[in-house]
Amino acid sequence: MGVSLTIQRWEKPFGREESLSSLNFYIKDWFLKHYKEPTPPQLYSFKLIREHRNLLITAPTGSGKTFSAFMSILSELMDMAEAGSLEDKVYCVYISPLKALNNDIYRNLNKPLDDIYSKLGASVPRISVGIRTGDTTQQERQKMLRKPPNILVTTPESLAILLNSERFMENMKSVRYVVIDEMHELANNKRGVHLSLSLERLGALIGTDFLRVGLGATLHPLELAARFLVGYRNGTEERDCYIIDATWDKRMEYKTLCPVPDIVNATDRRIDTAIYATLDRIIKRNRTTLIFTNTRSGTERVVYNLRRRFKYGEEHIAAHHGSLSREARLDVEELLKRGKLKCVVSSTSLELGIDIGSIDNVVQLGSPKSVTRAIQRIGRSGHSFQDVATGEIVAINRDDLVECAVMLGAARDRRLDSFSVPTNALDVLAQHIVGMALTKKWKVDEAFGLVRQAYPYHNLDRKDFVMLIEYLSGSYVGLESRRVYGKIWYDANEDAFGRRGKLTKLIYYLNLGTIPDEVSVGVYEPNGRRIGSIQEEFLSRLKPGDIFVLGGRLYRFDHSREMRAYVNRAESKTPTIPPWYSETLPLSYELALEIGRFRRELADALAERVGGAKGIAKTIGKKAIEPGSEAERILDALPADANTKNSILQYFEEQLLFAKRVPNDRLLLIEKTADKEKERLYLIFHCLYGRRANDVLSRLFALELSDAFNADIGIFVNDNGFVLTLDSGIGIGKDDLEKLVASVASSDAQRIIRRNIRRSEMMKRRFRHVAVRSFMVLRNYKGRQISIKRQQINSETLLSAAEEISPDFPVLKETYREIMEDVMDMQRAKEILRKLREGEIKHDIIETPMPSPFSHTLITFGEADVVMMKDRRRHLRELHKHVLEQIRKRYA
Amino acid sequence: MRLTADLEIVDGLPVMHIRSLGALACADLHLGYEGVMASRGGFIPKINLKRIKETLGIAARKTGARSIIVDGDIKNEFSEVHAEEFNEFRELMHFLKEELRMKGLFLVKGNHDNFVDRLRQALGFELYRQEAEIGDYVFFHGEELPESKAKKTFVMGHLHPAIAVYNKVGVKEKLPCFLSGKMSDGREIVVLPAMNSFAGGVEVNRDDPSDIAPVFSKMLDVNGMRAYCFGEGETYDFGKVGQLRHV
Repeated sequence: MGVSLTIQRWEKPFGREESLSSLNFYIKDWFLKHYKEPTPPQLYSFKLIREHRNLLITAPTGSGKTFSAFMSILSELMDMAEAGSLEDKVYCVYISPLKALNNDIYRNLNKPLDDIYSKLGASVPRISVGIRTGDTTQQERQKMLRKPPNILVTTPESLAILLNSERFMENMKSVRYVVIDEMHELANNKRGVHLSLSLERLGALIGTDFLRVGLGATLHPLELAARFLVGYRNGTEERDCYIIDATWDKRMEYKTLCPVPDIVNATDRRIDTAIYATLDRIIKRNRTTLIFTNTRSGTERVVYNLRRRFKYGEEHIAAHHGSLSREARLDVEELLKRGKLKCVVSSTSLELGIDIGSIDNVVQLGSPKSVTRAIQRIGRSGHSFQDVATGEIVAINRDDLVECAVMLGAARDRRLDSFSVPTNALDVLAQHIVGMALTKKWKVDEAFGLVRQAYPYHNLDRKDFVMLIEYLSGSYVGLESRRVYGKIWYDANEDAFGRRGKLTKLIYYLNLGTIPDEVSVGVYEPNGRRIGSIQEEFLSRLKPGDIFVLGGRLYRFDHSREMRAYVNRAESKTPTIPPWYSETLPLSYELALEIGRFRRELADALAERVGGAKGIAKTIGKKAIEPGSEAERILDALPADANTKNSILQYFEEQLLFAKRVPNDRLLLIEKTADKEKERLYLIFHCLYGRRANDVLSRLFALELSDAFNADIGIFVNDNGFVLTLDSGIGIGKDDLEKLVASVASSDAQRIIRRNIRRSEMMKRRFRHVAVRSFMVLRNYKGRQISIKRQQINSETLLSAAEEISPDFPVLKETYREIMEDVMDMQRAKEILRKLREGEIKHDIIETPMPSPFSHTLITFGEADVVMMKDRRRHLRELHKHVLEQIRKRYA
Repeated sequence: MRLTADLEIVDGLPVMHIRSLGALACADLHLGYEGVMASRGGFIPKINLKRIKETLGIAARKTGARSIIVDGDIKNEFSEVHAEEFNEFRELMHFLKEELRMKGLFLVKGNHDNFVDRLRQALGFELYRQEAEIGDYVFFHGEELPESKAKKTFVMGHLHPAIAVYNKVGVKEKLPCFLSGKMSDGREIVVLPAMNSFAGGVEVNRDDPSDIAPVFSKMLDVNGMRAYCFGEGETYDFGKVGQLRHV
């Protein structure tokens, strides 16, 4: 690809006067009264938007991002109002992924308007702002239909519904601007893909192109984000877009903190205690602290512990995450704004630009898994643009420590990790085809052309498009049932499709959207009192007796029935089941490689120190690093505290002593070992390529192993490697492992995964989600949530039924695509296999009496999966034998 | 696998063979399930009837049985008379008579079987409202207690029993099963698994016994019953449900 002429960075800001002169008089007056000076992004945007240029603006919180878009838009509307040409029509649509953010924007837009109009009086018609989300009442909607707002504030899902409201669309024909906020939350997932199609449909419905402004915290590469924002005109021609990058204009200070002097030898309990003590210190030192955890359950745990350990009351510390009720969240936001709370703990919900007043300090507990996210989160502190944002990452384990320190090093050097856009997602497209069919009769080519204008579908295959139409029209079932199965009408001879039946519109309204993917399960006490909810997938991991945290309290899992989990209050002080790790985001490939390189460089620098001296065990980590040595230079370069550096040193030296090797970017270490009870054999693959590449490699090795030994293989994947677990009865020697590596390295990864991923649990789980998004299984029917018992169709049966229809059945095809492209990183995995084959990456096989220091986190935190042996009959026999043995042991 | 001298599970299938009656027994077919789901807007591919026909075909060939007893819930919906159900029901009846040459078709009504009365004469089957005493057995669907005081073996469906066990690598697996044991008054009872493979099973070894079959909580000790699972042409005795609670 050559240099794009249509997507360009705008490097030079306009002058203050030039920028301000592009604003309407009243707007400029108001702006100068309240802000005095335009912020850096505004020095680009005021003029460019007034010149009607598509723009992508990235800048941290507090940079006046929203106004950088809206001052110019309000200016144009004000000009129209003054000229008497402002009508009761929608001119601007603002879309954000969060309802809470919409409420903020609604308030923030009305503020200048209130001020301005209080002076102007009724002489100039008022610019109106309206809000439309899932929370908007029927009455408000009716009102909006009669008197549409000039600026419509909405969510991607509500926009998709509006597209199918013929009456409302009459008022949308005048749209000139579309502003999309929090682009970084949309460009990399199916929700954003869904929105990209809505925008093209909107353009087609109003018959003209509108200006697109994308706002977001930092993203990399920005060019990709811009392409995603603007799409294509007339099916082929890329639309223009300027990029304004003010990511680095806010100063930031950050550091990795290690809660104890030596994290390797501290007990979990000690680390835990120290983590909370560290948090407490930070909270006490600052006026307001925002703590980010990586999971909702993590948020719960932190709030529970801070309150219990340091006697903070509910008025001091609060939780804020998506599982809480809307009221609870609004309360917390309000308390924050009024400066009442000392500390708020959040998973992701406060990452976005909700107005929460002034935060002095951000603490990230555990690795945020990406440089970009680390910057976004820390950027939440320091209210204004001139303030310095300050933050700490508190590492929770030894691998975390290295990861966070290297990550902040990359942030300092402005090296960001990249995102990718899911392309040609058939489930999202299925929803839009239904939506489009509802509005009119389409020629297939006309509809296809429209879809291809959206960036994520620019390379869509026409065959796939037609296949989806066939699926939705019921062509996959016999003629006699088509009337029942068809959601849309399709005539292959005429090459056209359109609406059918009355039910479809309802189905579309009630089941549209790409979230939530997870089924939540109510948690109840024996007396029937409901305590809260957990995710179905978390439930599937719970065994009777497991203790977990919910709503700040501990519960013991007893049993589940029909999607209800029954629990008892637990007296124990420690949960036995770790939080749900698949919620965590994967580490980026780039960062994984950086960590691998860091490992190699530090290990090389330490090799002589550890290898040389006798009796080194006693001095490990305690002997000061030689001043001026390479090791000192490497450690000192890290943005981290002394505990961190000391712990990292300790960690590396112990690994070198124990295993003589530190796995790194050029060394794949395979460790054969066993758990304490010797029941299970562990094959630990130390491969630092990030979870998405490891997702591929782990399945490849598991499949080969399963076939070679005719066994079920348990899988545990995380960013630093993966673990395969086998029954200890299986004898595997070094030769077998050598053969395994050789055979995997020379295998056709794509083909093997495609053919065999069906034997994993992941396939079933993903298929279920895709089936819901493709309207194959419905969430809602006639306004009622479909009772879980009815919805809970045996996914194995459903999957095999789909396979019997056709291996290319769209829902199946999308499941494979999602796994191979969105979940896994096939390209990079193939690259790793090539390097392994050609010796660029060496491998080493060792056998250890117990897992080596670098294995510790690999076997404790990971996303679990399993590859079932091919031979189903043998699988059943073994399962039977296993269960009888368990019974014999227990009842003998 | 033989449960008694007269009763055997047709290996690998959710079907029982009763030698003294020369009959197969099965339950909970839920015909028309996919069509009913489709009429509400979903897309569940049709596979249930096809699999049921295959299963019964194999069972009939293996055992030579010339009669069949369906122990309730042959169709899916509670109230509506659904065309999809009607068509599939007819097709199955014809298949049993014409292709498997079944002489006796005995249907015990379940909570989902409302319209079948009207088809009785046209399709030629015996229909029982609550329970059917046939030979040494009392067949009843299972949503209500049987009335019969006869000292016979009771056979029911309705529960969709399954057991959930953790495999060697720690993953939970759910296996549909037959249950066999005694009622509190000492009479024998067998619970048939569901023929419909879309239906999720009730985890009898995980759920509270009083929740599994509320009406029977006094009569039926689920923990004392044996669970027999089937699949891939084989049947496995997993022992007593009570002992499966901890594995």
